[in-house]
Amino acid sequence: MEDFVKELPVWVLWVAKVAIIFGGLVATAALMSLAERKVSAWMQYRHGPNRVGPFGLLQPLADGIKFIFKEELIPAGANKFLFRLAPALAAIPAMMTIAVIPIGTIQIGETKIPFSIAQVDLGIMYMLALGGLSVYGAILGGWASNSKYSLLGGLRASAQMISYELTLILSILVVVALSGSLDLGAIVEAQRVNGLWNVFTPFGALAFVLFTIASFAETNRHPFDFAECEPELVGGFHTEYSAMRFALFFLGEYCAMTVMACLNTTLFFGGPSVPFWANAPWYVGILAFLIKAGFFLFLFIWVRWTLPRFRFDQLMRLGWKVALPIALANLLVVGAWVAFSTKGS
Amino acid sequence: MSSILFYILALVALLGAAGVILAKSPMGSVISLLGTFFALAVIYLLAGFQFLAAAQILVYAGAILVLFLFVIMLLNLGAMGSRFELSFAPLQGGRARLAGAIAVALALVGLIAAQRTTLAATPATAPDAKAIDGLEGIALELFGRYSLPFQAVSVLLLATMVAVIVLAKRQRAGEHGEEPR
Repeated sequence: MEDFVKELPVWVLWVAKVAIIFGGLVATAALMSLAERKVSAWMQYRHGPNRVGPFGLLQPLADGIKFIFKEELIPAGANKFLFRLAPALAAIPAMMTIAVIPIGTIQIGETKIPFSIAQVDLGIMYMLALGGLSVYGAILGGWASNSKYSLLGGLRASAQMISYELTLILSILVVVALSGSLDLGAIVEAQRVNGLWNVFTPFGALAFVLFTIASFAETNRHPFDFAECEPELVGGFHTEYSAMRFALFFLGEYCAMTVMACLNTTLFFGGPSVPFWANAPWYVGILAFLIKAGFFLFLFIWVRWTLPRFRFDQLMRLGWKVALPIALANLLVVGAWVAFSTKGS
Repeated sequence: MSSILFYILALVALLGAAGVILAKSPMGSVISLLGTFFALAVIYLLAGFQFLAAAQILVYAGAILVLFLFVIMLLNLGAMGSRFELSFAPLQGGRARLAGAIAVALALVGLIAAQRTTLAATPATAPDAKAIDGLEGIALELFGRYSLPFQAVSVLLLATMVAVIVLAKRQRAGEHGEEPR
């Protein structure tokens, strides 16, 4: 087995990794659309979708087929180019960011293969740069639709994204300062070597809370889903969208949620490391990663069906007057702590 | 291969830059600017400056242009219609010609300066791309040799911000018929 793997051309490994990770991401996103309905049904003492396949597991597939065959409408006066481009802009950056997440290490015999599409020194920069682009889908889609509700949705999406991206970046920088690297693999390794997940350090815990709040705002999820707030804006930025383009917005949202859950796991919960079992086999590590990420995905749904929606001014106040100053102060203290504690050594 | 890619990207960047001033609607300008930023980021990547490329996308495409879009949508500046349209009005008139001439002159000065410094720098003194691009290299340069200019730029930004707030406040006070204090 080991010799066989060693003799494979490099590109086979690349293609396999891309297929597994990317396919896994899209499949997770599809299953999340089912999980959302199932968990909400469970919380509201209902059954949820249970007709297509066992436990309704094939429901996403049925939805997909339905979306493909539905009629697509482009409203009059819409900018056709941007209207068609926006759903792709919403989905693609979210899908690309999964590439640098270190899911674990595959070990066959003595050969170790990192289980991530790319190992980039500036992994976090890559994620943030691409993640920041996903808002273009909502903004341009809302603008190009030539509709008041869409425009307001897009407007809210842009304001929200600018406000919370700062908090998100500052709380990630705390982890970067603690680990001394922008490489996600190195951040996981630092947590493994220290034997302490970042969430269990005082600064890391604060950064984790801020990061989680900001990630809800960044992915446009409850209680911060003002860009598509139904009671006020019909459907928000995607009011005018139908068929597969509408589905692409959702695919983008669920992919972004999955990536955020993976990032949370990586930054604060030691990625694939298992507590109290330093020499766990590689498949246990990958399983641990999936369980941790799965919990954060569940958290997204849990919060959505538990908390009521904020008001937009409350969102802005929380972002600028509470989260941002705390994140800045946290980073300042961490910076000082790292600077003074490493000076002697 | 990479030089062909460079010329294509340079062309895209230039066309985008032209689109910024020629597009009829502000939204068209922003989309063109987005194209330019991306082309520049890929040129940085080609030159081996990964950090610069990521920072370019993160700061300009991810933050500043989103802010532009926010303002355009907030003011709801002119509908773009169903396709991009160009307007050559900005290129006409005496003032536009004067501004164009000044811009070309400045660009020429910049090009000549760049040419002279790259000619003067022997391979021994020319900075190593790898050394600069490493995060530590950038940090050392930014907070070491260039720390004073770096701080000066941030003070300039602060001053601009204060000036804008003062101007905006005065305008609003005028609207309500009050004397600015």
